[in-house]
Amino acid sequence: MTVRGLKMRKLAWFGLLAAIMLVPAVAAASSARIRLFPDRVDIGAFFQGVEVTLQGEIPPGAEAVVEIQGAAVQQELLRKGRRGGLWMTVGEIRVENAPNLYLVLSSAPKVPQLDGQETPWGFPALRSRVKFQGALTDQEKELFFKEFLELKKSEELYGTLPGAIKIGNSPEGQTTLKGTFLLPAKVPPGNYRVRLSVVKDGRVLEQKNEELEVKMVGFPALLAAMAYEHGSFYGVVAVLIAIATGFIMGFLFKGKAEH
Amino acid sequence: MWNLYLPIAGNSINILLLFGLGGAVGFLSGLFGVGGGFLMTPLLIMAGIPSTVAAASDSNQIVAASTSGTFAHYRMGNVDFKMGFLLLVGGVVGGTLGVQLIKVLVALGNADFVIKITYVVMLGVVGFYMFLESLQSLRKKAVVEGKRPETGGTSAYARAIQALPWQLRFDKSGVTFSALLPLILGTLVGILAAIMGVGGGFIMVPVMVYMLRMPMHVVVGTSLFQILFTCINVTVMQAITNHTVDLVLALILLVGSTLGAQVGAKLSRRLKADQLKILLASIVLVVMVQILVGLILTPNLLLGYKGGH
Repeated sequence: MTVRGLKMRKLAWFGLLAAIMLVPAVAAASSARIRLFPDRVDIGAFFQGVEVTLQGEIPPGAEAVVEIQGAAVQQELLRKGRRGGLWMTVGEIRVENAPNLYLVLSSAPKVPQLDGQETPWGFPALRSRVKFQGALTDQEKELFFKEFLELKKSEELYGTLPGAIKIGNSPEGQTTLKGTFLLPAKVPPGNYRVRLSVVKDGRVLEQKNEELEVKMVGFPALLAAMAYEHGSFYGVVAVLIAIATGFIMGFLFKGKAEH
Repeated sequence: MWNLYLPIAGNSINILLLFGLGGAVGFLSGLFGVGGGFLMTPLLIMAGIPSTVAAASDSNQIVAASTSGTFAHYRMGNVDFKMGFLLLVGGVVGGTLGVQLIKVLVALGNADFVIKITYVVMLGVVGFYMFLESLQSLRKKAVVEGKRPETGGTSAYARAIQALPWQLRFDKSGVTFSALLPLILGTLVGILAAIMGVGGGFIMVPVMVYMLRMPMHVVVGTSLFQILFTCINVTVMQAITNHTVDLVLALILLVGSTLGAQVGAKLSRRLKADQLKILLASIVLVVMVQILVGLILTPNLLLGYKGGH
């Protein structure tokens, strides 16, 4: 065995030892947990939105930020403006890379910001990701991002809820989390990423992701599948039902009128 | 507990609210022979339905209300099928032309301006003319109900009608003129309706009353017959191309509207023609004012979703 080979071996042993010693430290750092109740949302015939509860643990002295984020989609929106003194649609604006749902909850009364780097959550972070194209100038992009937020907030699809996560203490000395958020009736079916970020002294200590599936089930799922996959059949059935109901109602009234 | 999820609209809505809306608009439909799309679609959008789904599902609902209404009027002998068919053929041609016209306007970049102005002007002209005319005849009692104005006068319009070829007798309406006239007028209404994105009942009714000089009660029945076919076409087309027909939404609306249409048709027989006209004119004017206010007031948001009227 050469001298070089011996050195390498020592280095490998040292590396292994270091790794073993570090394991408890890493384990201690990844002590944050998040769970969702319910962990799957079914959109059935009587769905009218659902309140989801989140519970979890973070290390003592830290703050929690939870983001609930839907798939990034492209949306075509209409821009209003004045023509001849009247308000009307003056062009189309294409919004790219904006999630179809975005909620931010925090344990602190103000959503925490990071020191010396860009905060990856909240509306300012969203602003840097979302692209606007179409009937607007570069100077107008800020204004229309604000308008876009207002539109989404009015539908309860976007929102910031500072202080919505309540903090407590577990017998094991961990900090416990509990909070609720509302998925409105308008929530689009799909997979939602729920991300817990543990923040302390302006730094992210760790992040944990959970997935929340929102799915149409039962009659709504059946009807939506028929409408999208068998459009012409669906259209004809819709018309036939309408005509039949019209006639039935006519016959019912005819019977009454003859009394 | 009274909420139901609408799978195509992607939202939940109160059943009683929809039932009430359907009933009210169906009542007006049976009473005046209009589809009521110009009333229903904005109301559905206000209730949280995406505008494209609101317009398409409403046309599905109108199929039911106009079947119910046509049936009720048919039993009273108020449907002129010959006239209705000619207007319908014209309407289909006009609708196709109108859609092409919209494409040109969109390419030129001023589609919405033309649409909005056409809408307000048409509602205004139709509403004011009908309102003033029926007010005058109600006051003077000069026109006896059921008796139509003289068609053989010396007016240029009357002479032009008589000069057209293919003169045809319309027994139900009690008029004789060229088959070209309902075809041409149907085409014009079809173009306007396509531009405005509505069924056009509120233009077709005055056209039948004042330009085709049909009795008001036959107008209502015949208009409903025509609307029925227009809306069947729209529903199937929307279901195939845009997948915007929400059957759950349409079903709740149509239970209300078919009931309302029967009540409306019954009441229409009890009211005098001028009373019917003045009521319809008032509704048309209210809608016009509401749209005008929307054009003048600064909107809350400068961004909105696509579709609708």
